[in-house]
Amino acid sequence: MIEIEGLVKRFGSYTAVAGLDLRVESGEIFGFLGPNGAGKTTTVKLITGLLKPTAGRVRVAGFDVALQTLQAKRAMGLVPDEPFVYPKLTGTEYLRFVGELYGVPLADMRKRVPELLEMFEFGSWGAELVESYSHGMRQKLVLAGILLHDPEVLVLDEPMVGLDPKSARLVKDIFLKLAGRGRTIFMCTHILGIAEKLCDRIAIMIEGKMAACGTLEELQVQAKKGGLDLEEIFLSLTGGGEYAALLRYL
Amino acid sequence: MLALLLRRRARSLGNTLRRFTRYEWTRNLAFFCAGLGLLYGLHHGFYRLLSYLTAIELIGVLLMWKLTAMMLLMTLSMVTVSSLLTSLTTLYYSHDLCFLMKAPVSLRTVFLDKSLESAFFASWMIGLILAPYVLAVQRVAHLGWSFFAAFVAVLPPFLLLAASFGIGFTLLLLYLFPSSRTRDVVWVFSSLSLSVMYGLVRFAQPERLIRPDALKVVAEYLGFLQAPTAAYLPSWWLARGLQAAARGRWGAYARDAAILWGAALAVYAVLVALAGATYFAGYSGAQEGTLKKRVHSYSRLRVPPLLWKEWVTFLRDVKNWSQMLLIGGLVFVYLFSIRRLPLDSPDLRSLIAFLNVGTAGFVIAALGLRFTFPSVSLEGKAWWILRCAPLDVSQVMRQKFAFSAVPTLAVTLVLGLMTNQILDADHFTACLSLGALLSVALVVCAMGIGFGALFPRFSVENIHQIESSLGGFVYMAASLFYIMLTLAILAWPMQMHFSQRFGRAAWDWRVAAFAVAAWLALNGVALALPWTLGRKSLENHE
Repeated sequence: MIEIEGLVKRFGSYTAVAGLDLRVESGEIFGFLGPNGAGKTTTVKLITGLLKPTAGRVRVAGFDVALQTLQAKRAMGLVPDEPFVYPKLTGTEYLRFVGELYGVPLADMRKRVPELLEMFEFGSWGAELVESYSHGMRQKLVLAGILLHDPEVLVLDEPMVGLDPKSARLVKDIFLKLAGRGRTIFMCTHILGIAEKLCDRIAIMIEGKMAACGTLEELQVQAKKGGLDLEEIFLSLTGGGEYAALLRYL
Repeated sequence: MLALLLRRRARSLGNTLRRFTRYEWTRNLAFFCAGLGLLYGLHHGFYRLLSYLTAIELIGVLLMWKLTAMMLLMTLSMVTVSSLLTSLTTLYYSHDLCFLMKAPVSLRTVFLDKSLESAFFASWMIGLILAPYVLAVQRVAHLGWSFFAAFVAVLPPFLLLAASFGIGFTLLLLYLFPSSRTRDVVWVFSSLSLSVMYGLVRFAQPERLIRPDALKVVAEYLGFLQAPTAAYLPSWWLARGLQAAARGRWGAYARDAAILWGAALAVYAVLVALAGATYFAGYSGAQEGTLKKRVHSYSRLRVPPLLWKEWVTFLRDVKNWSQMLLIGGLVFVYLFSIRRLPLDSPDLRSLIAFLNVGTAGFVIAALGLRFTFPSVSLEGKAWWILRCAPLDVSQVMRQKFAFSAVPTLAVTLVLGLMTNQILDADHFTACLSLGALLSVALVVCAMGIGFGALFPRFSVENIHQIESSLGGFVYMAASLFYIMLTLAILAWPMQMHFSQRFGRAAWDWRVAAFAVAAWLALNGVALALPWTLGRKSLENHE
């Protein structure tokens, strides 16, 4: 479970997140949308303890991220927007390293690491240095690292970017299965189709503030656009009229 | 098109300058002044050396020009080796190459842009160091500013020629062996060349040239002094041109200047012509990774995971191997220099063994600047992994400290024990200097991690940007200040020890106790202050 109360983050005079209140329940897949620069990645960094909030509080799996940092971090896994991994480790070694950091027993690692590499179809690539991996392979490796220590809360910043259709399908199924097992999934994405199909609830963030939040039906009500799909709702909330005007430059 | 590409650099520089805060202006001005001070110091040193040389009857002026030719030859080789490394990274691995190669810009234009960047970065600092030397020649030989202007006019083609050799070699090498493995080979090869070059210069014992007892020998080699130094290389053309300018033979100077400019333009034109056919093959090959399977055994780790990761990634980076070769060469030359010191009395040898704390401490601080200080920043974009993991910043810093401390202590032990052995220092001095050196090694290492955490730079392209940053400067200044204070404090017991040796006075135990307390306090502060500041800074890093 993720609980966010009055979260504010300012960088000098610029407010990236302006008083965010949110609660994501166990077993829920929560989609976090918004235009570029809306404050999504900043929110992800605040949840995962990569940034200190200017004000407000974040609790992950019952632990205050600011006060019980290590417990909160142990209960959480992150897929960042740039899946940068040590280039001079092999995929297997990276998973071993993550397993050691999160205290996964050695016997579990012996069993789980080859399983995860097989699940993500790494084949013999698991023994190669990460520097030779493509973006998608790194993304899958980071996901495998999260699955290795099986956290209660998964925070994912654009997890589908760079994945081939088969891997994307696999990842979607993994998320559904994890949510079914009571894991909390907080996902930032620009792919509205995925958010629409996968997420139980969706929030749309604009200029650091939450413009709308709820199920697709609730969003339709909030945007006063009954019967429209998520893309139309998103465009209407983030300035669809302006968007239409922009097309005249084409 | 080249003008457009060069304009983007000017625009970027302009934007950077315009966005400087007052703090940044002050900081950069301080750096600039420190740089000027350093250049002035160099000039003063060169001036004293040249004044001494020119005062020697008959051969004084010859010696000065011989030294000038040797300096220029050394500059030529250093720029060439440096451009080997720089051209590899700028011509084949720059971040903007992907954009430039896709853009409708001819390959030769991209090569021109990138090779000029390589030539500039490989030569500007080495070229700048020539300026105080030439000014010293001007002062010693009472020459006018026209001499310096003559030097400035021929310096660009000289540096461009030197860099062209390295760039051309890299261009051909990557064309013939288009693989990322070639990059590793060039790294090791270049470092080995630098070590060998450094060793050769040192083993030639240039100090003998300025020792009175060696002057007879030098006089016998008057012919050698008058002979050209590597007559077919641009360094001799420049040396000959400068000599002509000093004697007011402007016709001869103009001929050498024309040769230098002509050769530089011709060599560069050949390079650009070659690039059209060879550059892309090398660029394409350099993008291809090499595959080599590594089997991982799931045996229990004997060290903490972060330490294990540091060890594995360090050993797999060829750049570190080449640096270790350089360190090996440096330690060897250091010990050779100690051995060649003209020390006759046991007292003088013991004194030098004590002063070795300062010089070896400087070497340790310099190694720390390369290996320890950047270790936090080198986490780079992967810093998120440790930041998200259930580890606190102190643990990360402790494990990085442990990783750096072991090799630092090993080098320190070699320097300390071997120096004491070579100098045959007395028991007290040997124990004091070795103990002091070991503490210096540990504290300087902790300072490296502390300052590295205080000034982290996770988004840099290469390690040199970390070393030459403000943090690197502060770390080096703080380390040298700490080493100086250590020497000052330990000078008390050393003074009492020497007084006792000469039978002048007995030990004053109160002074000794005060020295020990001051030494402990100094180490405590030097350990705790940067470490605590660094930890807090890294915890709050955004």
